[in-house]
Amino acid sequence: MKIAIKNPVRRRWGKREKYELQAYIMLMPQIIGFLLFSIYPMIWAITKSWYFYNGISSDTRFVGWENFIRLFSDGEYWQTLANTFLFAIMKIPIELPIALLLAVLLNQKLKGTGFFRTMFYLPHIVSTAIIALVFANIFNYFGVINALMQKIGILEQPVDWFGTKMKAMWVLVIADTWKSFGVNVLYFLAAMQNIPEDVYDACKIDGAGKFTVFFKVTLPLMAPVLQVILMLSIIGTLQTNELVLVLTNGAPGGSTYTVMSYIFQKYAPGLADVGVNVGYGCAMALVTGLILATITLSYQRYSQKLNDIY
Amino acid sequence: MKTRNVGWKICSYVILCVFLILAVFPLFYTISASFKTNSEILSDPASLLPKNPTFDNYINVLNSDVFDFKNMLKYSIYYTVVCVTITLISSSMGGYVFARGRFRGKKFWFLAFSMLMFFSMGSVTIYPLLQTLNFLHIPKSLHGLLFIKVFSVNIINIYLVRSYVVSLPKELDESAEIDGCSFVGIFFRIVLPLLKPLMATIGILAFQGSWNDYLMPMIFTLGTPHQRPLVVGLVALSKSGETAANWNLILAGTTMSLLPVLVAYSIGNRFFISGLTAGAVKG
Repeated sequence: MKIAIKNPVRRRWGKREKYELQAYIMLMPQIIGFLLFSIYPMIWAITKSWYFYNGISSDTRFVGWENFIRLFSDGEYWQTLANTFLFAIMKIPIELPIALLLAVLLNQKLKGTGFFRTMFYLPHIVSTAIIALVFANIFNYFGVINALMQKIGILEQPVDWFGTKMKAMWVLVIADTWKSFGVNVLYFLAAMQNIPEDVYDACKIDGAGKFTVFFKVTLPLMAPVLQVILMLSIIGTLQTNELVLVLTNGAPGGSTYTVMSYIFQKYAPGLADVGVNVGYGCAMALVTGLILATITLSYQRYSQKLNDIY
Repeated sequence: MKTRNVGWKICSYVILCVFLILAVFPLFYTISASFKTNSEILSDPASLLPKNPTFDNYINVLNSDVFDFKNMLKYSIYYTVVCVTITLISSSMGGYVFARGRFRGKKFWFLAFSMLMFFSMGSVTIYPLLQTLNFLHIPKSLHGLLFIKVFSVNIINIYLVRSYVVSLPKELDESAEIDGCSFVGIFFRIVLPLLKPLMATIGILAFQGSWNDYLMPMIFTLGTPHQRPLVVGLVALSKSGETAANWNLILAGTTMSLLPVLVAYSIGNRFFISGLTAGAVKG
């Protein structure tokens, strides 16, 4: 028979326990929120990927891999995923070189660089939804862009910017670039200002020209930061959602949906059609989430090379 | 050599100015067109300045039946004030606990919270959120969304506060501890006052974020349209089908919704920018 040995001295709350308790109390709202409003919904959605679920509990049933099988033959879904990559491929090669050029120009001893920097960042403080409204207005058929281009003589006829897929995609790219190029200018500037001055002094002594210095010294030294910026840019672009929903909402004919905006429009509560199979939407969100996470992680892995340049 | 430098300088300024115009033009045009009459907006879009500037659009917006501006403004302010308050409290406490707390499970929670940055299921997770609210008898409304926000994890802000607190000299709280100050006491008496500059940055970013917020408030106010914040209401107006007839209202409303953020930016732009660079590019 075992005898439970009681602690001879009644244990009082020590200082350490008190500290622990206080720390947990301060963190409690976030722990509750994390479990209840982050983890539980995630598990719910992942589980529902194997169910037919339309909000009515009597209709809910386990369907095995059916949702996933349907997903792999769902042309509309893969089209939106392809669109998302198209969007990234159109946007990043325009945005980052522009940002880099502006950062180089602002990194000189010029008057008013602070002012330019502030103004370049200005679009980023505007709500994405409002940006979409502004661009919907200026690229309207009767809008200022058409009118100005006709006045200058670039266009003879006003262009219906939301009439074909590619034109609408370009409007999205322009709006999104407008919003975020200033951020990248600031990132690039921060990276350049981290490069010690004596590196440049050494270049001067060696008689290197401006372009040589830039391509042989500045850019390689910025490589680690460049990698971060490129990754942020890729992630941000692949997640594009709000802008598409408000600016084109897929127009024309659902052809400009990115994957996030497509799932949102089709399966978010209140926007989804009544009786739609949310389980299918969950499967879609799960596959998309995994694809995007894989891209991010594999990018991080392979881009280690960028880090090794210096 | 000297002339080449001057040429380079001029060239730099030209490029910078071109992009300056591109950066400012959409907002400039929106604000300028909001002073045009609706017929001028439609008939002469190429004119960059209104021929006869008028405040009619603003008067119309304030008295419009289809667009209850005052109410939306009220809810925008309510939503923003609550969000900023919550963010300041929870991110400062969270950052402090993770920087200075000594408790079991610290690493686990920190990693768990960080994980949220890498994987998300997006919009379908709103269903279980609504179910939970329903279970707690909280209606789907702007208040319901704010209830969720009270408990939300602001991981980026936690990172910001944590690294700031770590950089503070440890002797400060050690001496307070010797004087009998509790863990919570050290936060309120010692650390929080020192966090002021960072709180300004986090506060202003939270202000911008919540004032501009669209998707979540939109979903949560679908059943309660009178609770729409300004941005949600503006988009709803633009999608109401008679956009062409309403451009003047939309433009005036847009301008008014831009104003608070623009004023905040013109006063505290260094806070906007310092928050950005502190968060992303370190070394």
